[in-house]
Amino acid sequence: MAGPHEVLGMSRLLGIGTTEFLAAYTDNGGTTLRFGEEDGRCAFVTESGCRVHARRPLVCRLYPLGRATDGTGEERFARFPKQDGCEAEFGADGAIADFLAAQGVAPYLEWSLRYGEVYRRMMRLLDRVGVEGKVETDAGGEARAAGSYPASDRDPLSSWQDIDASLSAYCAEKGIVVPAGIDEAIDLHLAAIQEWLDGLEARIGAVSEDPEGEGTT
Amino acid sequence: MGKQEVGRTVSRREIIKLAGTAAAFCTSFGFLHGSQVGGAVQDKHLQQDKHITQHKWERAEIKWYSGNALLHSSVIPAKVAKHLESDVNATVEVKLFLSGQMLRNLGTIQGKH
Repeated sequence: MAGPHEVLGMSRLLGIGTTEFLAAYTDNGGTTLRFGEEDGRCAFVTESGCRVHARRPLVCRLYPLGRATDGTGEERFARFPKQDGCEAEFGADGAIADFLAAQGVAPYLEWSLRYGEVYRRMMRLLDRVGVEGKVETDAGGEARAAGSYPASDRDPLSSWQDIDASLSAYCAEKGIVVPAGIDEAIDLHLAAIQEWLDGLEARIGAVSEDPEGEGTT
Repeated sequence: MGKQEVGRTVSRREIIKLAGTAAAFCTSFGFLHGSQVGGAVQDKHLQQDKHITQHKWERAEIKWYSGNALLHSSVIPAKVAKHLESDVNATVEVKLFLSGQMLRNLGTIQGKH
């Protein structure tokens, strides 16, 4: 798995843009890192280690742990079996909190929470939209517009996954400078998505944060 | 959950983008939709460890239907976009899968005119 903020971090480390990163290193609509078809290895694993270790995604930082939260925010961890060929050191010593701290997990969990809020808002909007017969039917021209739909499994499902491109467009429209820092870019990315959802919600109608809309991260 | 009436102010393209973004976040972050948590854990690795009770899935598929006929899975191709434009019975479903088995159906968007 690779969230847009993680794609941004890894692309900066590699010295490329997120558009190029998504095209070169992700699959499944830009949502997962690409693995070799023959050897099944992550594209970043080399003989000398991970090429993006300093900006590796949360799922890599957590491994061999799996993390889940329920609707109340209660956190649970599981330990995955050691995978064949994995050279990581496995052991049952130490506390999970110490392991998470050593892996620099905290900011990634915070970003996950923030994107989770956006995700739940999107789901509430989708729940709310009873689209039957209510969507404009003049979308033919829009739907055929260049870039409206992914051409393959390797194209991002949504333009919002590409932080560089989406922020470039957003900042151009607003007449502001695209932030250079990763943290600032993520902040603006989240704000831009919320603004987009504000616009949708204004037309769909206010969406209450009822319990049914709450999600699990 | 009851559906609210929606005015004719939201384009199909916007709804598809909203569904696509939600599906992308769902997959890339591992989010599940709260009201639909509760099914069986399908991942054999997680089943081996009793410390975890949460569900996990490997990927999200978007499926397009015309009536009961499945048109396409995965990303939104141009041919389906055209179908959505022309077929009043076309729908979009967002589902979560693990090991080939569906865990949750996140919902259906009908593209009826």
